[in-house]
Amino acid sequence: MFGKKHSNVIGTIITIIILILLVILTNIDIKNLSYAESLTSSIIRPVQNGFAMLKNKVTGNKQFFTDLDTLRKENEELTKENSELETKLRELEIIKAENTTLQEYMSLTDKYKDFKTIPANVIDRDVSNYSSTLLLNVGKDDGVKENMTVIADKGLVGHVISVTNNTAKVQVIVDSSSSVSALISTSNESIICKGSVENDSTLKATYIDTSAELLTGDSVVTSGLGGIYPKGITIGTIKQVVDKSNITDRYAIVETSVDFSKLYTVLVINN
Amino acid sequence: MKKLLIGIITYLVFLLLYFIQADFFSWFTIAKVSPNLFVMLILFLGLFASGPFAMIMGLITGLSLDLIIGKTIGVCAIMLCLVGIIAGYIDKNFSKNSKLTILIMVAVVTFIYEVGLYLFNVIIFEMPIELKPFFKILIIEIIYNSIITIIFYKLITKVGYKIESYFKQKNILTRYF
Repeated sequence: MFGKKHSNVIGTIITIIILILLVILTNIDIKNLSYAESLTSSIIRPVQNGFAMLKNKVTGNKQFFTDLDTLRKENEELTKENSELETKLRELEIIKAENTTLQEYMSLTDKYKDFKTIPANVIDRDVSNYSSTLLLNVGKDDGVKENMTVIADKGLVGHVISVTNNTAKVQVIVDSSSSVSALISTSNESIICKGSVENDSTLKATYIDTSAELLTGDSVVTSGLGGIYPKGITIGTIKQVVDKSNITDRYAIVETSVDFSKLYTVLVINN
Repeated sequence: MKKLLIGIITYLVFLLLYFIQADFFSWFTIAKVSPNLFVMLILFLGLFASGPFAMIMGLITGLSLDLIIGKTIGVCAIMLCLVGIIAGYIDKNFSKNSKLTILIMVAVVTFIYEVGLYLFNVIIFEMPIELKPFFKILIIEIIYNSIITIIFYKLITKVGYKIESYFKQKNILTRYF
């Protein structure tokens, strides 16, 4: 009875370890080994310090025999000072965060000064693995309507699909059912950029003209066709051109300029 | 009255799971795929409470998901409602006393839910059919859901049998008296 219970606990612990390993191994950049470095260092350092102290003691270092009362008083004062400094640091961090948000709004507004915009924050994201929608903290009360374009500092985010009094739901361009009419800015060739199930940072550019010449690194912007997105908003750059035996089937992979996983501040275009 | 109370508690658990899913499992992923806690919640309600109760809770929680972040109203509601019906059917026909059986149930129900959701997306939103990436995500999601079930198996069954005692008390009485 005890053995079965015991093995159940061990089984659960092993499963948790496997899960953590799976998450780490599938998400971490293997090249980045600074974590391992700091981990090793944090394990070794206390032991090293201990040995150094022992060595000093043995060799007659008189630092150990200083007045304990003075040290205690000093320690109390330093603890107090430390807590005061920590409070100040926290206050500064809050101010810094507010400042960053305001700066982001300013730079966004400057960049898109031709458009009348409403600043917004991303407050929620889709929990599904197959679709990509965002929830913004602005709604009808702020003048947001359906089909309005949403942009970020680096380019196009998506468009508003539904709106309540205080929130707006946005379909992101990388959503698997999204498609945007676009232009390759260097050659003015028109293409259609579609989201895919597989990737949340790239788009599949299709309907490429057979005579069009596509180059890696070409920037892709909105064409203004389709009635939702205004012309000239950056979508991304061509990452790869995939040639097929039938030239009409060829497509390109477009890397979006906006990093959707780190998107917190956006602008809703309302004209 | 007790069933209503369990319903309210279930909805609160759903809200808690929503925050865990949105804030924790958005980064604690396996190859950028997160698990689906809602499917598991409705499945266990169907297994331990009753099919109709799981169906109603599936409908309510699914509607909430659609309203919070869904692209349209009804897709998640229909699919979670279906999960509730299937869970009720599984409970009537299979034993849930083995860990392996529960794992198979989790895998089957996750498969049905995700395939259904994908088909809805293909039909309603004209999502392109990309079977290879879809099945890759699906398999990882099934594995992830199974791992979570193994980890919380003890807790789930403990709470589950407590809920079962409220829901299936009358059935037992009629069977023996």
